[in-house]
Order: sequence, then C-alpha cells, then structure tokens
Amino acid sequence: MQDTVKIGILYSTTGPYGAMGRDARNGAEFAFHEYATAGRTRVQPVFFDPHADLSAYVEGARSLIRDSGCRHIVGTITSAARKEVLPLVEKHDGLLWYMCPYEGFEANENVIYIGGCPNQHLIPLFEHLIPRYGARPYLVGANYVWGWEMNRLARELIANAGGTVLGERYLPLEETAVERIIADIAEKRPSFVLNNLIGPSSYAFLEAMHALGQRDPAFLPENCPVASCDLQECELDEVADGAAIGQLCAASYFDTLDSLENRAFKARLGEFKPELGRVSSIFASAYTAVSICIAAIEGSGTDDPSSVRGDVLSRTWPGLFGDMAIDPATNHAALPFLLGRINAERGFDVIASRPPLAADPYLTGTSARREPWLRVVP
Amino acid sequence: MISKTPNFTGWRAVILAEEDGNTEKLRRQLSLLGIASLLQWLPLPANDLPELIIVDADRGWDELLPWPERRPARPVAALLGSEAPGRIAWAIGCGAGSIIPKPVAASTVYPALVLAVSAHERRLEEEGRIAKLEERLRLRPIVFAAINRLKAERQLDDEQAYAILRDCAMQRRMLIEQLAALFIGGSEGLREVG
Repeated sequence: MQDTVKIGILYSTTGPYGAMGRDARNGAEFAFHEYATAGRTRVQPVFFDPHADLSAYVEGARSLIRDSGCRHIVGTITSAARKEVLPLVEKHDGLLWYMCPYEGFEANENVIYIGGCPNQHLIPLFEHLIPRYGARPYLVGANYVWGWEMNRLARELIANAGGTVLGERYLPLEETAVERIIADIAEKRPSFVLNNLIGPSSYAFLEAMHALGQRDPAFLPENCPVASCDLQECELDEVADGAAIGQLCAASYFDTLDSLENRAFKARLGEFKPELGRVSSIFASAYTAVSICIAAIEGSGTDDPSSVRGDVLSRTWPGLFGDMAIDPATNHAALPFLLGRINAERGFDVIASRPPLAADPYLTGTSARREPWLRVVP
Repeated sequence: MISKTPNFTGWRAVILAEEDGNTEKLRRQLSLLGIASLLQWLPLPANDLPELIIVDADRGWDELLPWPERRPARPVAALLGSEAPGRIAWAIGCGAGSIIPKPVAASTVYPALVLAVSAHERRLEEEGRIAKLEERLRLRPIVFAAINRLKAERQLDDEQAYAILRDCAMQRRMLIEQLAALFIGGSEGLREVG
C-alpha cells in the first residue's frame, strides 16, 4: 500500500474575487470526485481558505507544506497572492499550479501556468477589436498590477496600431462609484472599452455602461463594446439582469463551448452537482490543473515535484483546452483563444476562436511591437 | 514610465562567473527571454562585446572587464550574494546598473536586465549631454570677449551686449558660443542689431 499524497488547494472563497475562488474550488473538488469515482484514493486534497487576506496566503501555504506535507499547491487567483506564496514554494522546491489568466512577465520553474498570459488573451482580443471598432479605446482597471500592466500593454498595442487611448482610469478593489468614469467615457466617445476591473467594480461598471447605452445608442455593445479578459460565468449572476448582454470577454474556455470533450464534461458535471449550473474558465482550469497534477503524480509514481514536472512536460493533455501541451521553457500551457459574447442566459456565445497558442510570457516574439525598445548604442 | 515592452530577443549575454546552480538558473531565464548566453570565467575581450554582461561580483577581479572604472561599454548586471561594502563597490566600479541577488531567483532576472540596460542608456545620454556642455564651457571666454568688444564698440552695458549676442544666435539658429567665435573671428558683423 502506497502512502497517501496530499495536494494543497488554496483559494479564497470570500472577498472581491470570491466568486472566482468558489468556482476554482468547485473545479478542484470535481477533479477529486472523478478521481475517487474511478476507485482511486492515494491522492487527497487539503483545502485552505485565506479569506482574501494576503498574509493568510503565506500562512496557508506554510501550513499546507509543513503541516500537511503538500508538495503541490493548486491555487491563488491574484498575482499578488501568487507572488506571496511563491518564495515559500521555491524554498521547499514544491510546485505551484496557477490557473488564472494573468498579466505575464513571469516564468518560474516551480510553477505550472495553466491560465493565459497576454499573448493568449489581450493581444488576440485587440487583433479582433481594432479592425472592427477602431483604435481609440478607453481603458479602465483595478488599481493593482493586473489593471496597470494590462492597460500598459494595451497602450503599446494601440500605439503600434496608430491609434489613441482616449482615457485610462483606475478604481480601488471593491469601489463601485463608477459615475465619473462613465461621464468621461460619454464625453470622449471611445471605439471600445477595455475593462480590467475585477469583482464588484466590474459589475457596477457593466451596469452603468448599460444605462449609458440606453441613454445614447452610441454606447450599446454593438457600437462600443466593453471587453475584458477575466470576466467569468460565475460572476454574471452578480450583474443586474440583462445589463451585461452583448459585452465581450476573451477566455480559453466557456461553459457553452461546443466540443466533444466539453459535452462529456458537462454531462459528468451534471451528475456530480447539477446545482453548479454554468461553470467558468476558472472552474475548467482548476479542474484541469488538479486532474493533471493527480495524473502526473500517479504517472511518475511519486509526488516529487521535479518528477511530476518532467511527466507534465513530456506529454500532451487532451481535455477542455484541446490537446494541451505545456512548454518546457516557460512551464506555460498552450491555450486556445475564444471570444465570448454575453447572452441573455448569463452565459457566453463563442463568436470567434483560434487554435491553441503557445504562451509568450515575456512577449519576446509577438507582434506586440514594431521595433525593439532598449537598443544599446555602442 | 515604460511605454514599450523591453525586449531582449536576439541579444547575446556573457556571464562572467564559474558554472554553478546560480548560473544554471540564470541561463534558463536568459534563454526564455530570447538571449543567447555564454559562460566564461576569463577576462572579456574588448574587441567582441556582447549586448549585455552579467558578472559575479562576489568573486570578480578588475581585469575581467575591458573598460576603465565606472565607464562600462555595455550594460552590466552584477550577481551578488555578499553584503561586504568592498564587493558592492567592485560591482559599482565595473559599471553595474543592477544586481541579481544570489541565490538566483527566477523573478529577479528580467527586472535586473531592464534596470541595467536603462541605467546604461541614461548614462550614455548624460555623457553626451555633459560633453556638449563642456564644449560650451570651454568656449565661454570667447563669449566674454565678444561681449566686451560689443560693449566697447557700441557703448552698451553687459546685459545689452549679451542680449544682442543671444538674439542673433537665436535668429541664426546657432549656439551663442558659435556666434561669438564668428564675431571675434571677424566673419560676423552683427550688423542688423545695435
């Protein structure tokens, strides 16, 4: 009889991004449910909920590693939390499975990245939006690194396209007073809005943009869409009825994705917990991260992180994201690009897609720029 | 604020260090940034410089780098574990614009390169600006002589004489020092004023 192996699951189910944390945790639970259903018991989850307190993430990771003996942690939603946990994971030479879309500029050997970075979400999103709506966007974001860096890159993409950013505004997490931003947007009349707000700020913003569109048709989604890279199905319940219809979001998975894998996945999910309803890319990627982690532990016969990493990198992982490969150079997954438009059922209709794109976390080879910055003059 | 994403694709870096776990981690990170790296623990030849140099400042010696103190010909980042002031001073002396702390953590490499390159570019700009200012300073006695001659020839005070020189220089789109030199040399009469 082999020893039990523990995987730490570190998500905050409360706070401004609680909806995402709950969806991620549910995704992890579903992966363990399927594992148990297959009659396997060796790998077990240990859950820790830091309740959106940044310092509790470190305590949580420490407890998972030291007290529970976890060498793998699946978790964190925000980059801030990931950066908190990472030094501890590195110190213990563990593996962190991070599965949210993020702003890129990281490639750590002790992390497997299953969420997308900007060349997998923001850049294809802009390549879709600019020819259709114009290159004069308005940028809004949460006042922390996700919002800042996504908007910085958006500025660069717009400059390369010969366009102009008409405005750039930030809101603190959980701030819902969006009136001044809306007034500015109404005055400046952008071609589209990039929304990097998160949680309640984002919901309030979508509702206010809807109201603006009712007053002035120039701001209806078909004329001036609000696009984001992180809005999830689980969040649409928090937006006033109908207010987000027609707005856009880039992701690597949507609940409505019409693929063989997803139909089978949804059927299995319906048997597990029908009350879950629509699931999001966060659910799908947490499920995928846990499933791959379990499979690689079983495949390599040990939870030794370097063996597991070797197994993960050595093969492809067919599933919700296609035949997913993880690049040994960056530890990032290749992911498909899907563009979803919010429908009346609080889900997304996929209106554009691209086959899996390899991650380029440091944007070394994309069309993000025309010429290298930082040229040394001898 | 950085408006363009720093991009090192196609760059070459020389790491002046002995091979160990730190250099291994460093080279992995450099390679995923698109940088080809070469590791050597020998002085760097001045005739074939890469775009970027990373030097082990814990153990480095003066002859490793082919330039005078604080006058790096290329951006330098220092690998540093020691806190000894002498080693930090050595890193400064070889022109390091940033530090990659030992043990090397993946997350420290890219910011250190961006900082080192940015510091190097700023230094080159400043050197160019200082050279121009020094040239102008060197020509100050000529401006002084031109003012004195204008004062004597046209019965002006200091301020009036200087104003004539300045206005003429502006009209002719040249430096006041250049105009003063032409005036003293006799090829410029400053006839339209005074």
